[in-house]
Amino acid sequence: MERFAERLAAEYDEILGGYPVSLPRDFRQALAELTGTLSEQEQRLWAEDGAALARHSLRSWEAAGEFFRASPALATLMPFPVLRRWAETGRELAEESASLASSYFKAGAEGLGGLSIQQMREWAGLGRQLYKGNWKSSSLASQFFEVSPTLFQQVNLAEARALARFIDTLASRSYELAAACLGIAPKVMGSLQRADRGSFLGFATVVAETSWADARVYFEKGPGLLHHVHQDQRTRFLLLSSAVARKAGRQAYPFFAESASALGQLDNELHNRLLTLAELLAPKSGAAAMEFLKSVPEVLMRVRFDDLDAWHGEGRKILEASEDGGLAFFRLESGKGEEVIELLSARVELVRVGEVLRMYCKALTGTNVSIQAAGALADKGVGWVSTERASTDGTAVFLPPVVEEAGDKGENFAVYKVYATHQAGHLEFESFRMRFERPGALFGNTRIERAGGDGVALTDMERFFDLFEDRKLASDLFTVVEDSRIDYLIKREYGGIRGALRRVQGRELGKRSPVEQMPLRQAAVENLIRISLDGLSSVRWPLGRMETMRQAAGLLRAIQHEAATIEDTAEITLRLYDLLTQVPNVLLDAELEGEWAELGEDDIQLDMMPAGGEGGAPQPGGEGTLGEPGEGEAPYDSPDAPDFRGDFKPELVQLLMRLRGDAKSQGEADGQFAPLTPEQLKELMEKSVEIDISAFVEGDMQMSTGMFLANLMKEAGTPASEKQGQQSGDGQPGEGDEEDTGEPPENPIEYFWYDEWDFRANDYKPRWCRVVQQTLDEGENKFFEKTLVEHAGLVAQTRKQFELMRPELFRKIKKLYDGEEIDLDAVIEFVAERKAGHSGDDKIYWRRNKIERDVAVAFLLDMSASTDEEINRRERGRDDDDFDDDPRRYLAWWAQKRAKELQNPVKRIIDLEKESTVLLMEALETIGDRYGIYGFSGYGRDNVEFYVIKGLDEAFDDKIKKRIDKVVPIRSTRMGPAIRHATMKLDQYDAKVKILFLVSDGRPQDHGYGRDRTEKEYAIHDTKMALNEAKRKGIVPFALTVDRAGHDYLKTMCEDIGYEVVADIESLPSRLPTLYRKLTE
Amino acid sequence: MTTDTDQIYRQYAIEEYTPEHEPYYVGVGDEIELFRAAFEQKIPVLLKGPTGCGKTRFVEYMAYQLGRPLTVLKEQGTSATPPMHANGDGQALSVVTVACHEDLTASDLVGRYLLEGDSTRWMDGPLTRAVKRGAICYLDEVVEARKDTTVLIHPLTDYRRLLPVEKLGQIIEAREGFLLVISYNPGYQSALKDLKHSTRQRFIAIDFTYPPREVEAQIIEKESGVDAATSVELAKLGEKVRNLREHGLGEGVSTRLLIYAGKLIAKGIPARRACQVGVVWALTDDAEVQRSIEEVVSSIFE
Repeated sequence: MERFAERLAAEYDEILGGYPVSLPRDFRQALAELTGTLSEQEQRLWAEDGAALARHSLRSWEAAGEFFRASPALATLMPFPVLRRWAETGRELAEESASLASSYFKAGAEGLGGLSIQQMREWAGLGRQLYKGNWKSSSLASQFFEVSPTLFQQVNLAEARALARFIDTLASRSYELAAACLGIAPKVMGSLQRADRGSFLGFATVVAETSWADARVYFEKGPGLLHHVHQDQRTRFLLLSSAVARKAGRQAYPFFAESASALGQLDNELHNRLLTLAELLAPKSGAAAMEFLKSVPEVLMRVRFDDLDAWHGEGRKILEASEDGGLAFFRLESGKGEEVIELLSARVELVRVGEVLRMYCKALTGTNVSIQAAGALADKGVGWVSTERASTDGTAVFLPPVVEEAGDKGENFAVYKVYATHQAGHLEFESFRMRFERPGALFGNTRIERAGGDGVALTDMERFFDLFEDRKLASDLFTVVEDSRIDYLIKREYGGIRGALRRVQGRELGKRSPVEQMPLRQAAVENLIRISLDGLSSVRWPLGRMETMRQAAGLLRAIQHEAATIEDTAEITLRLYDLLTQVPNVLLDAELEGEWAELGEDDIQLDMMPAGGEGGAPQPGGEGTLGEPGEGEAPYDSPDAPDFRGDFKPELVQLLMRLRGDAKSQGEADGQFAPLTPEQLKELMEKSVEIDISAFVEGDMQMSTGMFLANLMKEAGTPASEKQGQQSGDGQPGEGDEEDTGEPPENPIEYFWYDEWDFRANDYKPRWCRVVQQTLDEGENKFFEKTLVEHAGLVAQTRKQFELMRPELFRKIKKLYDGEEIDLDAVIEFVAERKAGHSGDDKIYWRRNKIERDVAVAFLLDMSASTDEEINRRERGRDDDDFDDDPRRYLAWWAQKRAKELQNPVKRIIDLEKESTVLLMEALETIGDRYGIYGFSGYGRDNVEFYVIKGLDEAFDDKIKKRIDKVVPIRSTRMGPAIRHATMKLDQYDAKVKILFLVSDGRPQDHGYGRDRTEKEYAIHDTKMALNEAKRKGIVPFALTVDRAGHDYLKTMCEDIGYEVVADIESLPSRLPTLYRKLTE
Repeated sequence: MTTDTDQIYRQYAIEEYTPEHEPYYVGVGDEIELFRAAFEQKIPVLLKGPTGCGKTRFVEYMAYQLGRPLTVLKEQGTSATPPMHANGDGQALSVVTVACHEDLTASDLVGRYLLEGDSTRWMDGPLTRAVKRGAICYLDEVVEARKDTTVLIHPLTDYRRLLPVEKLGQIIEAREGFLLVISYNPGYQSALKDLKHSTRQRFIAIDFTYPPREVEAQIIEKESGVDAATSVELAKLGEKVRNLREHGLGEGVSTRLLIYAGKLIAKGIPARRACQVGVVWALTDDAEVQRSIEEVVSSIFE
């Protein structure tokens, strides 16, 4: 045997001698290993196969080397004929490319034992398929063989086939991406479940076909995204994605990714139903199906799952009628969609009911309260931190942004109303008007006796809380007693809300944590809260200490009296505090202390009602000795405050009121309290339990304090200079201050939201654009004066024209019973008729009636960047060509132009707009029409800038002259929202004639104002709709443009609305007043 | 024939109408004493105040009361005493009420020639009749009237107490008992329609506001026949809604409207519904304001 092998080896040393030395070496080594497995006959055949391979082409010896190396391992796995066929396949590959063959053999060596020979051939075929005859494809195919060993640990042949198809498809677009995908294929395949692989790769192929650039991202991220989907639904989802992708093209991957993560936000169990719904949409519009899935999480935040079908159904109906409409619907960008959701939704949003609640609170309190989202208060950084809880700062009521406590809208609104009523109750029943020295209506005043020295308190509340060692307990008690008083008074005063209040209280009671697990003192406060929520039956208290609870409950009940005032709350707080500090704050051992019992209605001691200040003070009973106070006691911690009562911060509110210089709180206070210093504020901040210091910037306490004080001052509206003085006076480096002072307080920014018209969907996009309104800064008034001088002639002329309008204001009215004089014609007619026997018309007087000129006009100036264009540039085209390459003439022309420019700086469109405005203002002042001048620009739908140059009710003065100077070109032209905003302004005025005058230099255009930057239709249709809306409100819109191409789009934009294109731009200043005159005559 | 018509309706010459029963009026301040003094001193009276707060009722009440001896007037409770007659013809004082509107001219007040066949006939206007009769002439919302009416008001309201009738070429001296009373709603009119100072300063002005809650409740109870508790709630509603004045609402809710609501409730209409039709919808067409007031209603009434 061995001798045979030796001979064979020697024989082949010779045959293989012409190749690099590694080949014979590999041969010898393999042969040595094979000797035991193969017969001599087989060894010879094997050697011949190898040699043939090596001979095959220039570099096929490398493949032969791999063949030799792989053989020993394979020979043990398969019978020799199979091994030969394997080699044969390799040889076939070598015909295509030697390196392909060597990768093939190498992969074989690394173990593909699991495959049958048939499969092996097919596998080889897959690799070969990838080879297209160029080197890139060759390396891809080689890579395929290289990854195969690891790949086949994960996949079976069918899957490999699908993978190869995907790689092949992708490779026809980009070899780089295909190679990258192939590289990660084993890992990707491994992370997928077997059942999903086929459809995953199927979709991958579709992506490669429709939007190959995304293929790699999909391949890499897909499995992770797919994990969001319920495992039984993944195949279905992928099939849906594939179906959609064929129609949606480029959107295929984003759709897949976004809807997968949308599904991920939802309960897995819902996926089945959602996919069914999506599949219903897919035949009509795949994009709509995916948009549907994407929007579901947001929709489900507002409607219950059971109602989703109804929403889907509505959308489907719209989709059947128009694809764009359906898309907008499912994208949540349509007014109709919003309406449907609103109808189905049970939750109530503050933005929708804010105005109603505001007037409601105003009616209740009689003061101008504003309603704001709780977040607004937290943002002020003056001590409130919750963005979800209702509260009040004494001037405004803050409410959570949405309420979805109950299952239907009506009840949720009722909850809002309870919130609002409670906060308004604090204002109506004067929770914040506590006077330290004023006796309570029921309980007199024991506070003064207790206050030993006269503390340096900033407010009455602070002075009151200073009486207590444990401020937290005192504050909690004060809150529960006061809330109890307010709720009682509300129930008494507003019978209609009792039902809703009771329901809210009931729900609140259901949410309380078990009282038995609280330390005793906390449990006592918890019990008081329960009693205040009408939940006497849920009170639990150790039987042995019941006396304390009886007294406490009696005290709390005593505040429920129609005459009780905030001072009574304070008195009761004092008494409760004394009572509860006797209770040790320990966790009770139930076995030692005995049972916890209920407190019955009859048990409450109502004889706590004292006439004067005396009887109320509790006598610490024998029970005080039960637990040794201070021993094993936990520090007192507050029980949860009931949601609907929100945050009650009397101390802060009083402070704010004091800072604001609130008349009532200051009147008496001035003599009583020392002037406010930052140290005092700081001290208050540190001791008050109403301010959660940890909520401020962590770490730097000094900075937090500074910020808090700055915010407080800002909130209270203390003038900046004063603040500065105070800060520097005591050497405090007020970190936050520097920015605050730089902020111009007189130019507040206001936000407004408007719908936008989508002509494709034939519907509005709800609350789509945000208009940022701001008063324009003041510049110099030089521009104004200069224009008047420059155009002195024109000024005089227009003024005269406008003055001429006045006498026309008197018109003769005929046919009256009574008047200035008899109308002779009418008399003759009358007499004639009478002679003829008719009764005749005896209305024979006429009179001059004064027609009051009652005009309000808003001018909208386009401040887009394009107005920066110089006017001359438009004509330059003509001039430039005239020099015939003669530099001297050009220089002469240029010098002349420069000189001219120096004398008269180049004018831009905006300058002419401004000049026209100046002239118009001069003219308007002579006839006394009410007018406003506004500029607009902006970028994108969230930032439509709207500048007030002159408000409709502002008087014309120097300030306005200065603002005109600041009119400069800014950015884009989103006309729709600007027009809507101006319309809203005009609509608030009561005038017989209202005019909206739009001055622009071109068509509307903005980022996202249409499918892309070049699309005109969307913007034009929205603008048209905005103009029509104005018209519907009885406003006369008029568009004036200096764009010579204006006729094109103005025809569409202003179908039946007046417009004019001013061809000669420089005539704008004279044209504008003339137009205006014509318009109002 | 004539007897038939007489049975169906009663008809009075404008200056002869007097209230048959004592009008119900609750004095809030000293307006009753003031008016009586002014009447006796022949000083014209200007009543200021929002709509529906009881100005007209007050004038009727005073006319009735002024027909009675002073002693009776002081004890308002004893209204069972039959009225004595002050102006000699066995009646309470007549009140001629003219609601002024923007087309009301001087000749509408004084009188005009009417055509009758081929001839004409002079017909006295309401003011002339009141002057001749010696009645109280009440010009409601006087600023609404044309400016030429002031020509008439001026000589009537100073020491002369004369009414010039230009078209007849006459001057009529006001009879004893004649008193010009005008009303005026300061918040309501536009700046254009303010009362001229030369006119204003011929009157003493009595300011009317809505009565306080308790008094208003008493009025509602008496006028509408609804129970006391509901009356208090209605008065409370009135107070709350008036907080919204100048805030989406031109005017606060009038006592009159509250009484209407009370009357509906007394007839068995549910309180919330009665307030909706009687108060909310009567006050405003603005849906949002309506909603807000309805919320107030639903907070007060169960």
